[in-house]
Amino acid sequence: MPSATMEEYLESIYKLSEKGQVRPSQLAEAMDVSPPTVTATLGRLQASGLVERADGSIELTLTGRQAALDIVRRHRLAERFLVDVLGLRWDEVHEEACQLEHALSPRVQRALQEFLENPSVCPHGHPIPGADGSIAEAQGVPLCENGPGDVVEIVRIEDEQGEMLSYLSSLGMFPGTNVRVCDVAPFKGPLLVEVGEARYALGRDVAEKIVVSEPVTEKRRVRKGILR
Amino acid sequence: MKSCHDASCNENVTRPEGRIVIALAGNPNVGKSTLFNAMTGLGVSTAHYPGTTREVHSATAQAGEHAIGLIDLPGTYGLSGTGEDEQVVRRALQELHPDVVVVVVDASTLARNLPLALAVQDLGFGVVLAVNLADEAARAGLTVDHAGLAEAMGCPVVSTTASRGLGIGEVVSQAFAVAGTGPQTHASYSADFEALVAPLAEACPVRDRDTCACGIEGLEALENANACEKKMDAEALEAALSVRSAVRSRFGEDAGVHLARERHELAVRLARDFVTHSSAPRHVITRDLWALTTSPLTGIPLVLVVAASVFGFLFFVGNLLATGLASLWGTFASPTIQAAVHAVVGQGMTAKVLLWGLDSGVGAALGVGIPYILTFYIILGLMEDSGYLNSLAFLTDRVMHRLGMHGRAIVPLIAAAGCNVPALMAAGQLGTKRERQIASTMVLFIPCSARTAVILGSVGAFIGWQAALMVLGIVLALWVGIALALERILPGDSQGLVMEMFGFRRPSLRRIVEKSWVQFREFLFVATPIVVAGSIILGGLYETGWLFKLSEPLEPLIGGWLGLPTVAGITLIVGFLRAELSLQLLIALAAATTGHATGISEIMSPIALVVFALVNTIALPCISSVAVYWRREGLRAAIAVIVGSVVVSVVVAGLVARVLAFVGFGA
Repeated sequence: MPSATMEEYLESIYKLSEKGQVRPSQLAEAMDVSPPTVTATLGRLQASGLVERADGSIELTLTGRQAALDIVRRHRLAERFLVDVLGLRWDEVHEEACQLEHALSPRVQRALQEFLENPSVCPHGHPIPGADGSIAEAQGVPLCENGPGDVVEIVRIEDEQGEMLSYLSSLGMFPGTNVRVCDVAPFKGPLLVEVGEARYALGRDVAEKIVVSEPVTEKRRVRKGILR
Repeated sequence: MKSCHDASCNENVTRPEGRIVIALAGNPNVGKSTLFNAMTGLGVSTAHYPGTTREVHSATAQAGEHAIGLIDLPGTYGLSGTGEDEQVVRRALQELHPDVVVVVVDASTLARNLPLALAVQDLGFGVVLAVNLADEAARAGLTVDHAGLAEAMGCPVVSTTASRGLGIGEVVSQAFAVAGTGPQTHASYSADFEALVAPLAEACPVRDRDTCACGIEGLEALENANACEKKMDAEALEAALSVRSAVRSRFGEDAGVHLARERHELAVRLARDFVTHSSAPRHVITRDLWALTTSPLTGIPLVLVVAASVFGFLFFVGNLLATGLASLWGTFASPTIQAAVHAVVGQGMTAKVLLWGLDSGVGAALGVGIPYILTFYIILGLMEDSGYLNSLAFLTDRVMHRLGMHGRAIVPLIAAAGCNVPALMAAGQLGTKRERQIASTMVLFIPCSARTAVILGSVGAFIGWQAALMVLGIVLALWVGIALALERILPGDSQGLVMEMFGFRRPSLRRIVEKSWVQFREFLFVATPIVVAGSIILGGLYETGWLFKLSEPLEPLIGGWLGLPTVAGITLIVGFLRAELSLQLLIALAAATTGHATGISEIMSPIALVVFALVNTIALPCISSVAVYWRREGLRAAIAVIVGSVVVSVVVAGLVARVLAFVGFGA
């Protein structure tokens, strides 16, 4: 059983690896520790057979990935609990969940999962791995399924030619960007969305291709501030 | 290469004369064209690349003792996209080689505007950053640290208020300073990214940034931009490919997208560092207007009110002005022109034919230009300038989408009910080529006020309003049918809507007047010669009697299929000059034949009147609109519309005649 620190590392490596290759410098930045500390801990993880290192990048071994998914599962279940049951704000639960996650035994996880009615995603829209270490590859919903007031994060843009992706990126819409739906035109018309300080009208067909994280459980109507 | 069949080929985009050539680039709605208009005066030439209708304006202006060439590029958000705007901008930059590019940005939305400036710098162009709308930014409590921004961007930064002509001299003198100094170095992208891209810069000795950007943004950019291909040798291309895959694996996304992300993040950083909010931003009123105009509950009634006003204004005010102008023309201009023509060529046939062009033709062109184009563009300018047009487009997009157009096309279509000519001009500003083709073709099939007047004056006056309504109903049904058919026939899908919704702002009278004048001037100089020439030809045929001879073979069609008296057929052809002319002529001819003023109901049965009105409404858009359509869509499309509309009108009118006869209409 890895220590809490090692679990934190595994979790971080897993999350970074979702976006691309993981380098020690990124890990140091993400964990907010010095590079020598990272090197030392990575040494311990490598000795435990949880990670491998190949030309400067860090990769999880199969065991490491299972351990990471396990901690990710606990973290996301904890977040869900904090938001759904205790009513904390979704943008303030991450730190709390980091504390809670280490205390959840498999039994508590099962109970929690049942109590929360088998949630598939965390409050930020990321998938919650199953107890068997499985994780949903595709997550999120098309932007057009959201209503006025929803704040969502772009997960990906389904666009085989890449033209839409390239055009949207010139407007400052990338995977990871937050989008607020302001208005939806009637008869399945376009959506009016707010990205940073700009507003765009997006046709239904475009909004279908933009996959976003599911909105925060309760459709809260955020007046202002959240996107700043 | 596209073969040279249409008019647009003759006017390819060329580099303007001048000691240095300055191109203006910028996001849409930052005041780029206002700056261009303020820098130039008369003598602006407008051209487009074959196969596109995005206009590139260019001019030569005098700046102190030197002449400078100016190019106004279409508004874009970036350079790498596959959209027509991006392609035109990229092509113009590469083929016209401006010495310096003035990138116009909105002081209050720097974070969104700066990526384009970075992209232009990355292509190796010297940039002068014009931070425009300084007055509005100041009102909103924003201060831009020009010196700091200039240092970070590695280029001069000038504050401008284009609508009042402020800062223009400084832009020009900075442009002279930048021209010929070579690539600029802006603040670096993330260290990781710069490190990955560094090998590319080494592999491309000339203008590193240029080739770098080409390589990173993908092979697609390579294909589109010949310049990239020429500059990149095999070695550099290989380096580009390996950098692309390195970026891809390091950041987990396409290198082109990642470059856009880097630019975006750098822009956000620059805006954060160099823009200070001295007071809380005053978004409140703007936000309320947004909510009011875009939420369906209040927005839709507003759309209806606006649509009714545009229609009403063009239909009634435009009509009133047109009538007034026609009588003024008849009282003052006509006699003078007639006297002049008679003095030069005498009283004979030549004089009569010439008068068709110089008197009736010019009168017809002005009768469209002043009352309809000027008034429409003032209304459109008001909507566009205030920012309401976007809300309108947003709400109507769904309905228009069915017909293969976007919400924005609603404006030309409404305007078309007043007059097709300004509507066609407005349709020419729409997004994609396909959308423009559909919109401008559909505009031609909307009865303008003159054609509606013919329906009311013939069917309405001699049969009754119900019959007039029926004719309008048939035309409407036909219109929807044609729209649906076009949406299917034309290749390509209607492209998804992505439109920036600009904030509401106080409309500037000066901007509106300038825009209206530009459109009016274009109509005057482009369409009028065609109208005059067409009128002279038509007049020649009419005066020499050839029209009657030529229409003899058409007798089976006109008399047999349509059931019209021969004179009515000829008046329909004359309607090509102006729709209402055909009815006036018909009434006059009927009166001449029968000897009394209401002779028309003696030579025409009710069914014949309906047929006459239908053909007049559907067939042969008037010569002014054909002239504009020809210029916008090319000669082939213009001929197709003329022939197509005649065929459709004849078939439909003939069928209607038979159905009416069967049900015993008017008997």
